[in-house]
Amino acid sequence: MKLLMEDEKMKIGEVINWNAVDFDLEAADKAEALEKVCEMLYRDGSITSAEEFIRDVYLRESEGHTGIGGGIAIPHGKSEVVARTCISIARLKKPIAWETVDGEPVRVIILFAVGVRDKNSYFVKLMSQVARMLARPGVCEQLTMCTSQQKLSEILGG
Amino acid sequence: MYIIGITACTAGIAHTYIAKEKLVLAAKERGHRVKIETQGTIGVEDELTKDDIRRADVVIIAADIGIKGRERFEGKKVVNVPTEMVIKSPKSMLEKIEQKLGIQAAAK
Repeated sequence: MKLLMEDEKMKIGEVINWNAVDFDLEAADKAEALEKVCEMLYRDGSITSAEEFIRDVYLRESEGHTGIGGGIAIPHGKSEVVARTCISIARLKKPIAWETVDGEPVRVIILFAVGVRDKNSYFVKLMSQVARMLARPGVCEQLTMCTSQQKLSEILGG
Repeated sequence: MYIIGITACTAGIAHTYIAKEKLVLAAKERGHRVKIETQGTIGVEDELTKDDIRRADVVIIAADIGIKGRERFEGKKVVNVPTEMVIKSPKSMLEKIEQKLGIQAAAK
């Protein structure tokens, strides 16, 4: 298996919005969790309207499962209101119900916020690398147990 | 066998790439050679060549939307599945394809 080089590891960190990462998010359900994640992005200035962005995220939710199994969900929205294309990550205090391919609840939300004009950007490419990592054996499980920024970088960096 | 394919999802941001990686890992584990083209927001990557298509034993199209260049596979054995199936159970999907084609998984 091809491992990522040291400099590529650092690049993956560039697409993660560290102001919008929470390892201990309290949420009763999917709606509350998504609201809180979007709030982090709004406070940080990455999105200019939480309401509109959430609408775009739910639009994608309506098109098929974003729960990829193994306790991980990857909601995403391409939206006019995204000022910075980035990834927000929330590890939940307690697993919540979600539409998932394995029928299991979700512990970690990895939300991809993409600006509509960002069709071919460096950051969207980095997102595809993160997605690729999620398919590797053990990565989802490690993420459900991850509680630090350093560990998170290690896991997603390969 | 030589497996080729295409992955594509509605947003073209994440599922396309998860599906590709899962397909590649599962195929290699079962001793097959594999090349998967992705059609996502960032465009086409790892584009299948005429030679890839000529040599392929099977074409797996894991897509939730219409793909570009389907006509390239005229006359080939094509399996169409949603990305979700590849993300959920790549190995059992490959097993089914092997059975259908009467091909045994090659030794590692």
